[in-house]
Amino acid sequence: MIQTVSTNTAQAAPYLAPIPVNVDDVSIWHHMSDALHQSLYRVLTLLIAVLPGILAFFVAILVFTVSGMVISWALRRSLSWVKFDQRLAKKSGTDWTPTSSPTELAARFSFWACVLFGLIIGVSAFDTSYATGTALPISLLPYLTHAVGAVLLLFAGVLIARFLARSVLISAVNAQVQYARILSLGVKWLVLVLTAAMVLDHLQVGRDIVELAFGILFGGIVLTLALAVGLGSRDLVSRSLESRVEHSGDRIHIPEDTPPAQKSIRHF
Amino acid sequence: MATTNSISTQTTVAEHPPANLLVLAAAMPAEEFDGVLVNLNEAFSAETMIVATQNQHAANGNSPLRVIPVPPSNTTWTLKPTDFVNAYEIAREHNVRAIVMLGPGANSLSPLALRGLADAVLNASIDLATPHYALPPNTGLINSAIIYPLTRALFAARGRFPLAIDLGLSMRMAERLAAAARRTSSNAQDDAILWPVNEAVSAGFSVDEIDAGSRAVPQPSEVDVNALLALVTGSLFADVEAKAAVWQRPRRTPPLRRSNMRVVAAGSAADVAHMVEAFRLANANLQEIWSLVLPPHSLVMLKRFSVVEPAAFRIPENLWARVVFDFLIAYRLRTINRGHLMGALIPLYLAWVASHINVTASGTSAETHIESVAAAFEADKPYLVARWRWPDRFNS
Repeated sequence: MIQTVSTNTAQAAPYLAPIPVNVDDVSIWHHMSDALHQSLYRVLTLLIAVLPGILAFFVAILVFTVSGMVISWALRRSLSWVKFDQRLAKKSGTDWTPTSSPTELAARFSFWACVLFGLIIGVSAFDTSYATGTALPISLLPYLTHAVGAVLLLFAGVLIARFLARSVLISAVNAQVQYARILSLGVKWLVLVLTAAMVLDHLQVGRDIVELAFGILFGGIVLTLALAVGLGSRDLVSRSLESRVEHSGDRIHIPEDTPPAQKSIRHF
Repeated sequence: MATTNSISTQTTVAEHPPANLLVLAAAMPAEEFDGVLVNLNEAFSAETMIVATQNQHAANGNSPLRVIPVPPSNTTWTLKPTDFVNAYEIAREHNVRAIVMLGPGANSLSPLALRGLADAVLNASIDLATPHYALPPNTGLINSAIIYPLTRALFAARGRFPLAIDLGLSMRMAERLAAAARRTSSNAQDDAILWPVNEAVSAGFSVDEIDAGSRAVPQPSEVDVNALLALVTGSLFADVEAKAAVWQRPRRTPPLRRSNMRVVAAGSAADVAHMVEAFRLANANLQEIWSLVLPPHSLVMLKRFSVVEPAAFRIPENLWARVVFDFLIAYRLRTINRGHLMGALIPLYLAWVASHINVTASGTSAETHIESVAAAFEADKPYLVARWRWPDRFNS
């Protein structure tokens, strides 16, 4: 910062105490203003560079969503007009629910295909427009283009987690495992943690930390489940292995130690 | 898969007088097959008949019956689609008028039962004759809990064993079943289960039930009740879904047939505690899944019954009917994965079994209870039809 001493004031009043070093306010404001203007200019330049891409992204989604709605409506009308469901049901001998009839499925497929197409085109347009402004560093922008893949990964991961959790829960309940819910939750979180790690890796966020945290969490959950199953299901596992050995033939073999009451029940 | 071209006959039509009945016997041990031949000799001494067997070494030297081989189809506990195709092709080749199909263990069927099955399709203008076995109590419980009541309610057929392993078929019925079997084969479902009663009702054919007495029922190789229930019930639900246009028409169930069979005495009472415990565990853990399938009213009722002592445990007939119907609707709508759906049904089925055992232990005969369950299914059919047509309405 530039500092100057006012000599005129010192000459006019020599009896006065010396005035401390003074800052030139005008000059400071001038420089601050310059800095702000330059910053604003940079941001505005970036926005101008990226804004068409953002606008193109939203316009593409909007246009293709509207197109999808129109195509879906037309498809639904035309398939209903030719009685597509009835013809197909007659040919395949299958009864369709109103919410999942072939016509409805075709209409939905066409709509979502259009939306997805619009999304791809939008992202592509955004990517192209961003490439022109890469000289201006804004760290969040690269993630936007990866966001679509990350969302798909997250969606698939949540679906798989839910499916596996239900499978484990039902199987464990039918095997009369008392801690079925814990087992199911363990499997669910195992998959969710794996999904979260994959999503973060895809977004290139905190790579080393995520890998480390994922390893610790995943290992911890596996160890917990292994201990739970190993300690809690020894009897179940040994019974299962024994029954497999004994039921190696095609015909039912009822073990000798089975109570007579159990022998008297035949489900088929 | 076996094809008709591979079927080689030891005899030709020209060498023998025309036969009017074909008996197709599944593969079974030699001594069992000999027993079947003895019973057939006794039952059909006056008729001309052809016996087609899947046995590799059919000893027919001493038998006056005409025995021809057919390719084996791995029939173990239920008839396979290949069996129906083979039966129809051989019957057409030999120009017979009717077919009797016999499953493994058919040597335990009396000559009278064999005669009854054949007479129904040969002389009584019946297209499908199903046997009514006299089984020990607590046997065939999946049939009693789901298959029989559901088939009776939807298809208005009183056949107590819709998935019987012995059948009497007219030629047009055999043709229909062979066509259905070919459809499953073309879909690469060689192990699919065919439902003859449902097919007969769909085609407008006549169905009757024949007293068959006691029989040694072959057991599925899959001994796990979980897998068995999922397999059989899933197949029935799929068939019901495919024939929705048929069973939604109003039909009158034929009057109850007077059976002359002696009721088999009750054996030792089964232990219901572990089944009730399985139901309680499921009630505590599967609420999230059941709530997607069952209406709140049913859930509340199930919760209420889950705290009852095992000895006093009962599932009312109308609640069980409602549960099965709701699972059928969920199967159709694919509310959840179908494998999960069948898995979630297992504890409820075990609860019904426990309830059935308690009811029979209290003095009510098993058949009386099963008939009341079937009647409850019939009474609640309008609910099923309504939800089938308008699935979004969760009326309880």
